[in-house]
Amino acid sequence: MSKRRSDWESRPQARIRKWYREGFLALDNEIIDHLTRTTPQPPYTEDRLVAQQEEMASRQHERTLALERLDQHNVLAWARTRGRKAISRFYVVLALALSALMIFFLLETVALMPRFGDPATPGANIVSERYITKGLEETGAVNIVAGMILDYRAFDTLGESTVLFIAASAVLILLRIDRNKDGSPVQELIAAESDDRHYEPRNDRILQGSAMILTPIILLYGIYIILNGHLSPGGGFSGGAIISAGLILYLSAFGFEKAGRFFTNKTFTWVSFFSLMFYALAKAYSFYCGANGIPSGIPLGTPGAILSSGLIMPLNIAVGMVVACTMYIFYALFRKGGL
Amino acid sequence: MLDWLRFILTTLFLVSGLIILLTSVIGVFKFNYVLNRMHAAAMGDTLGILFCLIGLTISAPDIWVAMKLLLIIAFLWLASPVSSHLIARLEVTINPHWHHLPPREDAPQEEAP
Repeated sequence: MSKRRSDWESRPQARIRKWYREGFLALDNEIIDHLTRTTPQPPYTEDRLVAQQEEMASRQHERTLALERLDQHNVLAWARTRGRKAISRFYVVLALALSALMIFFLLETVALMPRFGDPATPGANIVSERYITKGLEETGAVNIVAGMILDYRAFDTLGESTVLFIAASAVLILLRIDRNKDGSPVQELIAAESDDRHYEPRNDRILQGSAMILTPIILLYGIYIILNGHLSPGGGFSGGAIISAGLILYLSAFGFEKAGRFFTNKTFTWVSFFSLMFYALAKAYSFYCGANGIPSGIPLGTPGAILSSGLIMPLNIAVGMVVACTMYIFYALFRKGGL
Repeated sequence: MLDWLRFILTTLFLVSGLIILLTSVIGVFKFNYVLNRMHAAAMGDTLGILFCLIGLTISAPDIWVAMKLLLIIAFLWLASPVSSHLIARLEVTINPHWHHLPPREDAPQEEAP
């Protein structure tokens, strides 16, 4: 592709068009450049022996290069014509065979699986029965899944949130571009800024218009999913992902300066820290109470109401905040190396 | 009678949407230039999904599900063309020769030296 382009550029038509488009200035500059360019001088070598050796070495080098080029040409020619055909045919056959094999094994597995809702499966033991029959009574959550992951298995969910936080920290360590000690930007940061300004959609009216319509709706929907996590499918993880998608849309439409007015590195640190700490403390309290048989004193409320099911809603909010911050900062780090 | 009408309409819309989606998938794999591929993908993302969702809306069990599906259509029609526009804009930004040279399938292969 690039060679075709350069061919095209060196043709007279293209030159004329370039001259026509850019005026005389480019042509003049080229002429001046051509006239004032100094020819590179050979290295100053008095010793003839050294010169001879160098010449021999360079000839050897050229010969090797020519051989390499020939090899490459042969390989490429083969690959372009017969090899390509053979490989594409082989590829098609292999892909079909692999797909057929995959379909066969998956169908085999499906045929061997127990029927849906079969009480005799190993999964339907006393544990899941307990979740289903007593879940509403013990956790107060209409959504059994929320009651499971944030009440019975809340320790596991804390681990998941922590994994997210650790992943964000590792990416931060790897990708973050720091400033100098006196606050001036380093070279990398300047390069990243210019890349960002050049390639990313900046001040795109279409994107900004649609982002102005969509961002509030997306954020509201995420908040709804988080707050309704104990009543309907959803919860902290999915709601946090939706909120972070809204934030990323805002960021890519309006740029880092405007997004930085409400979300900085400090925001990320404190929100994640407080959410995780709140989660850990709340669950430590309820685990302590549960293990020692003390009544925890957290009212479960009426099932179905928005303020019910004890700790599940605050925990959902904490998880959602951690997820939203983490995904947003991932995007910012991969795009520019920091907020 | 009405049930049959509903079923036939649903089937028509779903099948036409699936055909458009199939066309767009074939286009994405066949074309070898970003703007062509983007055109194919955008067609599937808007028209194909619109037809599929209209079919689902007709077959929806109650009015609330139908309204949610209409909201999904509105969201997709707002979001998908904008993303196609951004892809096209990126291509125009980073490729200085995009308006000189429409790449063709039958263009001569480049020769090794």
